[in-house]
Amino acid sequence: MAVYHILVVHFPVALWLTAYLFILFRTFSDSELAVRLQKAVWPLIFLGSLAGFVAYGLGLAIYPWSAITQSPLGRNHIMLATWTLSYWTVMGVMGYRYRRFLFEGAQRWSTFALATIGAAVVTITGTLGGSLTGTPSLVTKSLDLIGWNVYMTFYLPNWMLLVYTAGAVLLIVIGFYGRRSHV
Amino acid sequence: MRKWYLALSVTIFGGLLVLGWSTHGTGIIKDDPERNIVIPKELTTRLQVKAAYDGESIYFRYRWPVERPSIFHDVLVFQDGEWVKRAGEGIGPDPDFLTEDRVSMMIDDGSVPLFSRYGGYITIGDGLTTFTGTPETDEERTKYLPATRTDANNFDTVKPESDLATLRKAGYFLDLWQWRSNRSNPVALGDDGYVAEERSGDKGTGPYFTNWDKTTNQPKFMFDPARTGKTALNFADVVGGKYGFGDIYYLSPDTAAPFDPNIAWKNGDTIPRRVLRAESDSRADVVQSAAARWKDGYWDVTLVRKMDTGNTLDDKIFRDGGSYDLAFAVFRNASTMRWHYVSLPMSLGLGKDAQLVAAKFQGETPTWDQPWTEIEMFYPGQVSWPRLTDPKQHPGADKIAERVPVAFRHNPKQLALYGVEVEFADQIVRQWLWTLLASLGLIVALGININLIMTRKEN
Repeated sequence: MAVYHILVVHFPVALWLTAYLFILFRTFSDSELAVRLQKAVWPLIFLGSLAGFVAYGLGLAIYPWSAITQSPLGRNHIMLATWTLSYWTVMGVMGYRYRRFLFEGAQRWSTFALATIGAAVVTITGTLGGSLTGTPSLVTKSLDLIGWNVYMTFYLPNWMLLVYTAGAVLLIVIGFYGRRSHV
Repeated sequence: MRKWYLALSVTIFGGLLVLGWSTHGTGIIKDDPERNIVIPKELTTRLQVKAAYDGESIYFRYRWPVERPSIFHDVLVFQDGEWVKRAGEGIGPDPDFLTEDRVSMMIDDGSVPLFSRYGGYITIGDGLTTFTGTPETDEERTKYLPATRTDANNFDTVKPESDLATLRKAGYFLDLWQWRSNRSNPVALGDDGYVAEERSGDKGTGPYFTNWDKTTNQPKFMFDPARTGKTALNFADVVGGKYGFGDIYYLSPDTAAPFDPNIAWKNGDTIPRRVLRAESDSRADVVQSAAARWKDGYWDVTLVRKMDTGNTLDDKIFRDGGSYDLAFAVFRNASTMRWHYVSLPMSLGLGKDAQLVAAKFQGETPTWDQPWTEIEMFYPGQVSWPRLTDPKQHPGADKIAERVPVAFRHNPKQLALYGVEVEFADQIVRQWLWTLLASLGLIVALGININLIMTRKEN
């Protein structure tokens, strides 16, 4: 199953990063080409998410759950893959709903920031996959330099779990306030 | 207004990511002596090795960093009318430095399958002494080789004597050389042992015996006042590192006298719990050319043995041009048992290409003019062979079944980290799952937030 995961996983990575490239271009350009490319963003993201779900399922089928969750690197890869898939799916919904408005006024900078986070997450997920198959990249070493040795599990202390939960609630509350402000 | 809400949301989300990044991995990994868990401050260290042979004898020279040498092991301290044992074996480093430094080396000549690929890992069964959950028993549950058991993963299923004898004759054992800073070094000895159905000493007597009379609950020997000028050491001086190589701090036939209970012993009088002696038979094969010394932050130890001892049932015989496999362990910072640093397996060639090449020399002693072979040593944690070979516990179990060497997929630093994480596996998996859930919730919340705040208005 590993070979099929490796084969399929190239699709979401390529599609999402292409979408990011188009977002990047559109953020800094109002040219006709940039506007045309921007129209492909949400289909690219959704196709990426579709392929991502397949790759995710294939990835989980490589090792027994009990085994992969005993491996720090395995745990990290699952964590980042989950983030990547959910994050880009959220981005896809956003792209579908707002399309060209993503780049209207100040919204473009939010779009740019969120897409950049998405590109970073997908890059880290990919490099963890490489490390898991015994081919760590410079990204793996760079992560170590900025505070995360990927051979140790990424988990949060209890108090940070509470902060994350509170943060999630806060984001939703802010969302409703923000919606009310422009109704 | 909404743009500020949007900016605030993105900032909060980004801030939470940064906060999570800077606090991850905390809150679980910490010492837990109740579960026999003490994490060394340093997870890796280095060992330097050289080897040389002259056709008759083979020499191994080891050098490794030790901040404070530990030249004592367990001692007997007089306290309020009785003699109390202090230190020796214990969980993690001994704060009084009453646990000796050591170096050991396992040797194979190709007779033990998988040793060349996985080294000492193959000798670690489940439930060995000091593993979390293993009950304390009088009998030490030592390392062993898998084929000495009917169920390789079950310590208690030792094969019948006749089967073990057959395996031994076929060379299915690891030669085990040891050097101990207290229990062999002062009299310039090593210790020759093996790992097969257990880890034990070769035939004969070892370099020490226990200085304790069970019938009288007193030491058997003390320092000979006529030859050493004292009957005991001072405990404060022992733990304070006041004794050095120039002092008489050990008991041996040259320094010991029968214990005299009529002496007016006072609190703090200290007598070594081991008495050094000459070794005999096959156990006496591994010696030192001179007692080792700690200097400038390093132990520098040389062990020597006849290449062919004639003891083929407990020694690996070295031959000119031969290839062998080695695995090392060093003990430092007053730690013993599994609180050691181990190496991955490495090849030894006598006059031929290998990771460690033994240089042939002529004359009395090796010239040691070849460069050191540097070896990265790591804390192994509680990673057992049954765990590594179980596909339900180790994603790489299939690679082991395919005999892919450990060094192909892992390096010592990684293995040290994995060794630590295994000691907290259940807690970490639980926390990781909660983290997965919380972070997923955060991403979904961000999605809801953005979709509520963004507008479809033209600029």
